[in-house]
Amino acid sequence: MTRKITFKTGYPGAEKDVTVEIHDQDATPWGLGAKLRSVGTDVPRLEGIAKATGAARYSFDINRPRMAFAKALRCWRGHAKVVSIDLSAAEKLPGVLAATVLKKPGERVTYSGEMVAAVCAESEEALDDALAAIEVKYEALPVAATTDEAMRPGAPQPDPRNANVFAEKPQTRGDVEKAFAEADAIVEAEFRTQVQTHSALEPHGCVIEPNGDGGFTVWASTQSTQGFQNSIANALGVKPNQVRVIAEHIGGGFGAKFGADDWDRVTARYAKDLDRPVKQLLDRRAEHLVAGNRPDSIQRLKLGGKKDGSITAFAGEVFGSAGNGRGGAGATNVRVYRYPNLNMVQSSVSTFAGQGRAFRAPGHPQGVFAAEGMIDLLAEKLGIDALEMRLKNDPHPLRQIQWKIGAERIGWKANRRATPGSDTGPVKRGVGCAAAIWYQKGNGNFVVNVHVDRAGHVTVQNAVQDIGTGIRTVLAVLVAEELGIDAEKVDVQIGDTNFPAGPGSGGSTTTPSIGPAAREAGLRAREGLVAALAADWASPAEEIALKDGVFVGPGDKKATFAQACSRLGPEGLSVTGQRRPNYDGFHGDTAGCQFAQVAVDVETGVVRVEKVVAVHDAGRIVDALTARSQVNGGVIQGVSYALYEDRQLDRATGDMVNPTFDTYRIAGMNDCPEIDVVLTSIESGFNNAGLMGLGEPATVPTAGAVANAVANAIGARVYELPITPARVLAALNARGNVK
Amino acid sequence: MKAFTFVRPTTVEEAAKAAAEKGSVIKAGGIDLLDRMKERVDQPDRVVWLGDLPNHGVGMSDPGGMGVGPDSALVIGARTTLAQLAEDAQVRVLFPALAESAALAASPQIRARATVGGNLMQQTRCGYFRHRSFPCFKRGDETCPVLSDGAVQDTAAIFGNRPCASAHASSLAPVLCAADATIFVANPIGKQSEWRLVDVYAPPRRGVASDIDLGDGNLIVSVFVPRARKSVQSHPVRAVYEEIRQKAAFDWALVSACVRLDMDGDKVKDAGVWLGAVAPTPWHAEAAEKALVGKSLTDDVIRAAAEAAVTGATPLPGNSYKVDLVKVVVRRALERLRAMK
Repeated sequence: MTRKITFKTGYPGAEKDVTVEIHDQDATPWGLGAKLRSVGTDVPRLEGIAKATGAARYSFDINRPRMAFAKALRCWRGHAKVVSIDLSAAEKLPGVLAATVLKKPGERVTYSGEMVAAVCAESEEALDDALAAIEVKYEALPVAATTDEAMRPGAPQPDPRNANVFAEKPQTRGDVEKAFAEADAIVEAEFRTQVQTHSALEPHGCVIEPNGDGGFTVWASTQSTQGFQNSIANALGVKPNQVRVIAEHIGGGFGAKFGADDWDRVTARYAKDLDRPVKQLLDRRAEHLVAGNRPDSIQRLKLGGKKDGSITAFAGEVFGSAGNGRGGAGATNVRVYRYPNLNMVQSSVSTFAGQGRAFRAPGHPQGVFAAEGMIDLLAEKLGIDALEMRLKNDPHPLRQIQWKIGAERIGWKANRRATPGSDTGPVKRGVGCAAAIWYQKGNGNFVVNVHVDRAGHVTVQNAVQDIGTGIRTVLAVLVAEELGIDAEKVDVQIGDTNFPAGPGSGGSTTTPSIGPAAREAGLRAREGLVAALAADWASPAEEIALKDGVFVGPGDKKATFAQACSRLGPEGLSVTGQRRPNYDGFHGDTAGCQFAQVAVDVETGVVRVEKVVAVHDAGRIVDALTARSQVNGGVIQGVSYALYEDRQLDRATGDMVNPTFDTYRIAGMNDCPEIDVVLTSIESGFNNAGLMGLGEPATVPTAGAVANAVANAIGARVYELPITPARVLAALNARGNVK
Repeated sequence: MKAFTFVRPTTVEEAAKAAAEKGSVIKAGGIDLLDRMKERVDQPDRVVWLGDLPNHGVGMSDPGGMGVGPDSALVIGARTTLAQLAEDAQVRVLFPALAESAALAASPQIRARATVGGNLMQQTRCGYFRHRSFPCFKRGDETCPVLSDGAVQDTAAIFGNRPCASAHASSLAPVLCAADATIFVANPIGKQSEWRLVDVYAPPRRGVASDIDLGDGNLIVSVFVPRARKSVQSHPVRAVYEEIRQKAAFDWALVSACVRLDMDGDKVKDAGVWLGAVAPTPWHAEAAEKALVGKSLTDDVIRAAAEAAVTGATPLPGNSYKVDLVKVVVRRALERLRAMK
């Protein structure tokens, strides 16, 4: 059963009426301009105090009685053959419970960090000694650790059956050759990006405990309790419903933590065989090398346009490596702007290195860095303001508004250097901009439980996990909105597969996938309270309304939320809400843009990002505070990607030279710019709360904006990330001294 | 890390004796040592902890035995933390470059724990040295992999970088070398001797990890900075510390420099120019000193000294930018010195 409704979507100045059929049981969309009580306000993160005081328990903090420790012995070389492996000395050491060969003599390792053996021991100390006592002899084999090297003819291959270069499907449109021939200006350049590792503070791994009844309890650091449950059940050889996965708090994921990994399967095997709890979380070196990364890219691009600033053709070839597997690299450089004629050929290159994984907007930051650099180059060649160029070619109605908001706040007119590099003195400033795009409306049939007891306690339950994004608080806000109470009054129980299944936290889909179910559950709870009052007041339910947190009925009858709850039976009220299918909405792409202001010391090459204005859309914003926090995090990670992070592999061995946090540089407190977040909250439609994703787009444009700002500041462009002092100085030298 | 015996001496003498035993290593703050032990780059049998020993702190010497007087100089207990050094009022007045270098090191948490002695004794941060999976000259291998094709070289040494291209990480060392600091070293037979700091640094030797050669069981008790004298407070020895690093938060210097000048009117009477993070040990830029002595700090003299500072540089393909950075730090240090009245 459905009903047909028409409501207003969009943003003031970019509005659109949509008419949709919605499920009878679904909540009616609020529509553009709705005045809401809690939704869209600043609500402090529910678990904020627990996290700040250290009370919050992460899987890393879980220790169980009789718990043993497991760890893999890893080969720290990109390519080698195991000649011999001897566990006997390790097995004899006190406290060693089990040792296992994972790579037999004759087998190859094809990335640094690959597991060759594993040990389970009574203590971490015994474990460490045992790993050191394992004797492995390797035959070193030739390595091609970088994309460039793996592309050379005759380069060694991780998989001898497949060539290293794997062409993905090209993206083509129109007639590129003709368009270039007719273009008024053409720019060509090669951009390069590095490998960035996820570097979540909590490493991958889990604690697995046998329950004694054939089932297991697992405390996992995961972005998907559901996915982890399925994959670890498979590893344990039991049904998923015999495995309970708990992930109460997670110290970040960024795309690298979904199902159980090969080291988790080792943990599972020991837990099962030894019939005792076993813990294994990776150390930092393994995190950097084996637990995913953002692939690098080499983007050779050509962009053509007309005198009026319209882009007519974009072409290029892209190479990148997602490690020793096949495929998986690629740079998303053809979104955002109108490219009427297009020919982008992308290839993935197999290298002797750990595999890439989804990483906060896979493909996008690297693609946007290059594409936005090309836009600036073309604008310069055509003699058009870089912002005008973007306005001319951007089809998104909301981003058209956002560009103007961002330009105003960064002071584009005053701060964009008409002559790049023209500041006096060694420290030169400039501004630059770049666009964000994302496209997630959420989906699934997820169910949220809400329970209200007679004393007025509200409990929300779902298996969804909060990887730091604020989904716990978002669920509370949506339920609270329907009940007319404050979000702080709602207890949210999540991160446990004993609750109804929740979405994985990936693709920026968590809020739009589960939020609408929470809203519907809140609505059901309100209806239950109204029914209880209707019985009590002997009034028709449809004449009872919730106004400003008070239930009002005929004859001026009034009940606070607590009073309404007291009318419930001893069993309280148990209701569910469901995620309904998506319907039509404002725009399939969320819009965003960022502007950066940098200061560059042209003598030292050191870049400081002074300010970033981040203008983002994520449909309707539920909790403005945690949403801004998401954007802050995206900007900081983007600055870190632009200036610092770099997985440096030694090309002779394929091993990482900087696998610790003192040498793998990540932006720290003093490296963070002032961040001015503007959330253009819109009614996006698509679901009952108008929700879309935010986590990923927030980091998409940062590096592009920073790189363009650096070029504007110094009058020379750095075509490769990270923008190190060495590269800044080289760019200036190539250009001649600008001092 | 490998299991070890934890030894807790309560006197300097006991500590020196314990440290002299085979397989012993000294732990003060432990910042660097624990990292090495976790990676099994160091696998000591005994860790001698200095935490129960009295520490001198920061004070003034008493050369005449009559209390602190005009000739009293700065004395820093080896277990003074970098945070204490950075905040110490006397250091900030008498030798501000030292406080500056301490304040820039690492992070606030590490500065609260790391000691002056530990900062001087720390070993190179070279990623090849720090991980046993790589060969390393300092760990006994024949050659230094940093010198090979395909090596990551961006933070490696540009001076004295053969047969080992490790870069010295200490922020304090260039300052203390430029200050002609001496170290008081206790030995296992209960004697203390005073050595010039610049004399204890040793170029890389195969299989020897430490850059400082103190001898077994000798431990640094205090650091003496003779140039930071009360009597010169009205005409302080001018010294400044400069470093260039990629990040503003917790990062290692790409290059650093301490330049000290003793002036005679507007002429340089004596100069000390020491560089950090550019060689396996603190690097003495003698040519830069020569370019300064007897001269006034004109733009030309400063430029010539900065150029002279890179005399003898042998950069690798991956780190020639550090040569430019050395010129910048030396020039900037001199410009700051000139601006001091």
